[in-house]
Formats: sequence, C-alpha cells, structure tokens
Amino acid sequence: MTDAAMETSGANRNDRFTRGSRLADVLSKAGLGFAILAVVLYGSFVSPAFFTTGNLLNVLTSMSIVGIVVVGMTFVLVAGGLADLSVPATIACGAILSLGLQPMIGPVPAFVLAVALAGLIGLLNGVLVGYVGINPIIATLGIGTIGLGIVQAAVGGVIVYGNNPASAEFAKGRLFGVPVVVLIFLLIALIGHIVLSRSFWGRWTLATGGNYSAAEASAVPVEAVKAGAFVITALASGVSGGLLGLTLQSARPLIGAGYEFSAITAVVVGGVSIIGGFGSVPRAIAGLIFVQLLTNVMVLDGVRTAIQGFVLGILIVGAVGMDAALRKRGVA
Amino acid sequence: MRFLALASRHRVMIILGLTLIISALAVPGYFSASTLGLGLDRAATIGLIAIGLTVLLVAGQIDLSGGAVFALAGIMSVILQREIGILPAAFVGILVGMLAGAINGALVVGLKVNSLVLTLATMLIFRSLAHWITNSQPVTGTDIMLSLAFAKIHLEIFTIRSALFIVLIVLLHVWLTRTIPGRNVFAVGSNPAAAKESGIASDRIVFLGFVFAGTLAGLAGVLQSLVTNTGSPVFGSELTVAVIAAVVVGGTRLEGGKGSALGTLGGVLTIGSLTIAMEFQSVPAYVQQVVSGLILILLVVLDRAVTTKGRAPGTGPALIRDNPITQGGNT
Repeated sequence: MTDAAMETSGANRNDRFTRGSRLADVLSKAGLGFAILAVVLYGSFVSPAFFTTGNLLNVLTSMSIVGIVVVGMTFVLVAGGLADLSVPATIACGAILSLGLQPMIGPVPAFVLAVALAGLIGLLNGVLVGYVGINPIIATLGIGTIGLGIVQAAVGGVIVYGNNPASAEFAKGRLFGVPVVVLIFLLIALIGHIVLSRSFWGRWTLATGGNYSAAEASAVPVEAVKAGAFVITALASGVSGGLLGLTLQSARPLIGAGYEFSAITAVVVGGVSIIGGFGSVPRAIAGLIFVQLLTNVMVLDGVRTAIQGFVLGILIVGAVGMDAALRKRGVA
Repeated sequence: MRFLALASRHRVMIILGLTLIISALAVPGYFSASTLGLGLDRAATIGLIAIGLTVLLVAGQIDLSGGAVFALAGIMSVILQREIGILPAAFVGILVGMLAGAINGALVVGLKVNSLVLTLATMLIFRSLAHWITNSQPVTGTDIMLSLAFAKIHLEIFTIRSALFIVLIVLLHVWLTRTIPGRNVFAVGSNPAAAKESGIASDRIVFLGFVFAGTLAGLAGVLQSLVTNTGSPVFGSELTVAVIAAVVVGGTRLEGGKGSALGTLGGVLTIGSLTIAMEFQSVPAYVQQVVSGLILILLVVLDRAVTTKGRAPGTGPALIRDNPITQGGNT
C-alpha cells in the first residue's frame, strides 16, 4: 500500500492503524518485531543457555501448547467476545479425559471424545453468549466453573495417569526433527489463519466484531459467528489439553490454570483489538512468540514466577491501553 | 409472562426461602442459632465484597480482581503486625485495598477500557504481588488469641464480622435509595452519556465506585486474615464466582442501572446458607463450585428471558454489554 493510499483509506475500519500518524503505523506493524529482536538479543546476552537447541526447542514446545489455544482465542477476541475464561476447564477436560478414557476405548477414540466434550463446553458458552446474549466473561466464568467441577467429580478430584506408552511416544516424538506437538500447532495455526483471513467465515467474524448491528443488517449470521468463536476456542483448548496430558502422562484438574491468561496476553500483546473487529492469527502468534521468549529469558535469568505474572499483567494493561490509544487516534 | 415477571421481582425471597427449606430438610438441626450464626459469619466474607460489587455493577462496571485484593490486603495486615502493631497493620491492609481499587478505577477511567478485561489483568498483577511478597508461603500473625475474639458470637448469632456486614448493607441501602449521590450511581449505570449531559460527573462516580469496591474487598481480606491469624496468597481465588452469583441472585443487573442493597443481602444469605448446608453434608468443594456456577448461569439466563424480551442485544447504553463496541467511547 502506498502512502497516499494509506491516507485515504479511512473508510476501511480494519485499517484503523494506518489512519493516524506515521509513528503509530510503524509502531503497530514493526514494533513487535523489534520487541522480539530485543528480547532475543537480551536473552543471548544474559544467559549462555538461551541460544542452545535444547532451550529453543523447549520454548517452541511449550509455545505450541499455548499457541493452539491462542489461535482459538483470536477468533473470540476478533468476534467481539472479549475473552474465554473457561479455557482452564476445557484444557483439563481434554487432558483428563484423553488419559482417563484410554484403558476403556483406546488412545485415539479417547482423544477424539475428550476434544468433542471440550467442544461441548464451548457450545454451551457459545449459545449463552451468541444467542442468549449474556456477557461473555460471566458466561465463560460460570460454565468453566461448572465444567471443571464436573470433570473433577468424574475422576474424584485426583490425578489421572496415562497408561498407553505408544500414545506418549507419539506426543513426545519428532517428525523430521521437529516435535510432533509443534507440527500440530503449525497446522492448526495455518488453518486458523486461512479461515480468518481468506474465508467467508473469517470475513463474518471480522464484521461481527467490528460493528455488530451493521453486520446483522448485512445478513451476517452474527449469533452463529459469535457462538462459533467460542466453539473454536474450546475445540482448540481440548486439543491443547489432550496433547499436554499425553506429553506429561499425567493430568491434574488444575492442569489448565493460567493458560487463559497466557492466551489472552499473547493475543492482546499481538495487537488484536480487545473490542473486536481487528486482528489476525499471525499477529497473535507474534505476540505469543514475544511473551514466550520474554518468559523464557526471565526463567533463565532466575526471575521468580510471581514476578513473571506481575510482568505479564503489566503487559496486558499496557497492550489494552495502547489499543485504546490507537483507537482514539484512528478516529481523530 | 406476568407470573414470570412477578416471580422475577420477588425472586430473592423465593430463592432464599427455597434454599432454607431444602437445607432444613437435608441438614438436621439447621435452624439452630449456632448454625445460622456460623452461616452468617461465613457469608460475611462474600457479603463484604458483594457490597462493593453491587455499587460497581449498578454503575455499569465490574471488578474481577476482588479475590486477589482480598488476599493482598490480608497479607499486608498480617505481615506488618510485627512492625507496627495489629491495629495499624489492619488499617494499612484496608488502605492497600483502597489503593488497588484506585488503580483499577484510574485505569478504567483514564484509558477508557473495558473494566472486565482491565480488572482481569489487574487481578493477575495483584495476585502476583501477593505471591511475590510472601514467597508463595502463608504468613502468620503475632496474636493467636485475636482470632478467638473475632470468632466470638455475640447476642447468640452475630460475630463482629457478620454484624459489620449487616450494618454496612443497611447503610448502603439508605445511601442508594435516599441520597442524591446514590441515585446518581443508577443514572451513570443506566446511561453514562445522558448522565454526563445532565451534569453528573460520571467518570468520578465510576472511579469512586472502584475505590469503594477495592476498599471493601480489602476490609474483607483483613478481617479474614485476622480471624484465621493467617495471610495466604491463594486466599479468595474461589470467591469471584460466588460473589458475582450472590449479587446477581439479588437482582442486580450485569448491564448496570439496576440493583439494590437488600437484594444483595438476600443473595449473600442464599449463597451463605447453601454453602453451610453443603459443608454440613460434606459435599466436595468442586461440587459446591458446580452448584454456584449453575446458580449464576441460571439466574443470568432467567434475567435475560424476563427483562429483555424483544430487545436486540447491544442496543442499550450501559458500559457492560455483550457487544462491547459501545464501550471505550467514540468508535
């Protein structure tokens, strides 16, 4: 896009970053790249362990588990669904069931069933948010609490262990030198990106989040789009939980705690608008890479977990604030 | 539909009555003064946070960081006991709650962002601070006898905590229904733009609402820590759903502009009596969570079905909507 085109593209809502000053434009497009570069430089400076294959593979693997959730969460935010707080419950559902059901029905059906039941939680969220019109945070908080409680009750609140070495082997294995989990993440991210940026469903999602009434008036099935975003997140979280369970070969009910924040942080830091209508999967993944590398460097640097949480919280506030500031600038 | 509307209006009484009847049938000796006193004392923690949240919800905002502020304030009030004495430490704990509320309020008003998302982030920050200060270990206070004094039951039924809760809820009722600032909160919650036009300082009311909610969450945390003589960074993590459920049972709308102190009292009593009944029946904690989650969802759905039939979602003026595009002003 040329500079002139940038100045005149004010009518297109998705280009809100390009409507304001040149600085905001550069910051929004390249800022994250610079930030990632800075973290990488700092990391290699601070710790000799940072640039080892083992460490980077570790980052990549843990990034993939969260990343699968991030792809789903992008849809929720872009569709104007604020956030999905039932992620810990859906991850626990995926992990506990895919391990717990193995002895009865075999590893593959157990995984599929676990993901399907996680999707059911998402469907409940979706119906409540999309069709009944309940505030997403309240709905997902409530449904998440219920879902987690039921999953805990189903296993009696204890830890579930895996007993199928073949499935563990597969989840921890590598294909062409790349961990299988990473490949699954890349596949899901690719599908998510294509759906959000190239398909009619993606256009509907952007339209619904951008202007609900206008989208409704243009015959977009806004209710289904909103509900669908929560189903997508739940399915993704279910897959992520299942993989997590298979990798660890054990699943506690609280296995998914904190993943909702990691996912929201990544998406928001990636510059996806918190009020919907703007964002893409690559952006969210850039945010994810930044947050994960930052966390990794903090771990290598010996920063305590509590302080890491503090830093992530500040990052969310900063990113949300920046979103608000850019929004204002886009209008002015 | 008229029956439903009528039931909806008096639903606090109906739900509370049903809860008490079922509890009494399930738990022998439920209506003894000591059981009720215990229930009231347990409900007071939820209740104090719920008082603050009632005002915030009426003003069209929400605070999800209450549980974390609860933990942080409690920790401060215990940790400082050795340095400055019990009473000043408790005071500092409440101040911490107030400060946390002020941070929430300043960020929401200043950045013009959605309070749900912002308090979600500050919840993470406050909780991390609590872990940071205590090194993730529980801390204990200096005077063990103090907790006995707090647990002492006066007039057969009240502890200091539950008496404080009842007094505050009565004050809140008077403030919300009889004074002009109280009425202004409703105006801000039902239509912030119109409220601003008619000369009400919406931003200031929202800010002070957050300060109020933070202070009460801090007060609840300080009292809890004094009663147990312990401050822990994991305190209050399960409170969020229970508190929101209590306020929503009481008929306060998540969309703002509607709610009452007496409703919240009814909601808190309902959740409290339910908790006690389930604990007496030794129902596992996660089943209790399922129950409070179910209550929350059922009531919000019921509220939707009765009060907003035929209205398109997202057309209303309040700050909290299922379609958040109306938030943050001038998009």
